Amino acid sequence: MEEETMRGSIVGLILGMALVTFLPRFLPMAFLSRWVLPEKIKIGLGYIPVAILSAIVFPILFSDGGEAGIQPQSLLAALPVFFFAWKAKSLWGSVILGMLIYWGLGFIL
Amino acid sequence: MGDHQFREGAKAALPIVLGYLPVALTFGVLARKAGFTSFEVGLMSLFVYAGASQFLAIEMISKGMAGFSIVLATFFINLRHFLMSSNLSLYFKNIRLPILALLSAQLTDESYAVAISNPSRIENRPRYLFGLQIISQLAWIGGSVAGAFFSSLTKSSEWGLPFALPALFICLLVLQIKSAHHFWVMVIAGIFSLFFRWILPGNWYILVTAILASGIGVTIEMIWRKRQ
Repeated sequence: MEEETMRGSIVGLILGMALVTFLPRFLPMAFLSRWVLPEKIKIGLGYIPVAILSAIVFPILFSDGGEAGIQPQSLLAALPVFFFAWKAKSLWGSVILGMLIYWGLGFIL
Repeated sequence: MGDHQFREGAKAALPIVLGYLPVALTFGVLARKAGFTSFEVGLMSLFVYAGASQFLAIEMISKGMAGFSIVLATFFINLRHFLMSSNLSLYFKNIRLPILALLSAQLTDESYAVAISNPSRIENRPRYLFGLQIISQLAWIGGSVAGAFFSSLTKSSEWGLPFALPALFICLLVLQIKSAHHFWVMVIAGIFSLFFRWILPGNWYILVTAILASGIGVTIEMIWRKRQ
């Protein structure tokens, strides 16, 4: 009986999480795609990708669980990936190169 | 025609697959240890499909926290998708609502970033986005179920795997630097993100940074246009 309650509550939890992850993904796509947006909003949305990606990448390289501090292994692997990505514009290549360098640095650092 | 779009999208998903598999395996292992069955792991990856929230959920369950607080935390963690979905809405005009529902349910940071790296590929091409996203999600579901299945064998910290997703994001960031304006928005967003990560809880820094930095981007562009 107790086992069943736990199983039931896990499924309930999954459904609850599914709902709250779906809404912010769906509502803008459903409504904004049917409206004509003001120019300023359109320009702003155009900067969202670079802003979000910077906000994801910089903390990986320059912070450690909230505290500021350089992550040497990530940072040293990141520099050649930046350069390679700039020149080659290849996602695959960047991922493989980044993994190789990060892996190699693990032996040195 | 349609199948061609789907295949193109599926191909574009391959770097994401490489990035997802080790993270998904790790998730499967940890979820199993927190008391999930392999089936429940698969169910969660299918219906929730949000890496950070899924890890947080098993962490909170292990600590015995209530379901409601987990759902609430999940909601706030995933609010950032609101901006990505707003951005993607620019490229999908007059598409039927059920199709938009399917596409948006599979939206992740990674699929968004790959999709937006080449807007001409997604502009009113739902099958391309579907191909990109379904392959990514299958990797996530497959990886997490495999991790749950083989939870005693896996170890995902080897072979540089922890750097697969960071490298993917770095390349996607570089692809977004299309002008001097974008470069400065990157610098501003980078500094903001470090600051807000330091003062804000969880991953609120992503949402706050994105709103402020893109607002500054608009200001820069407006001033520049007036000068022309």
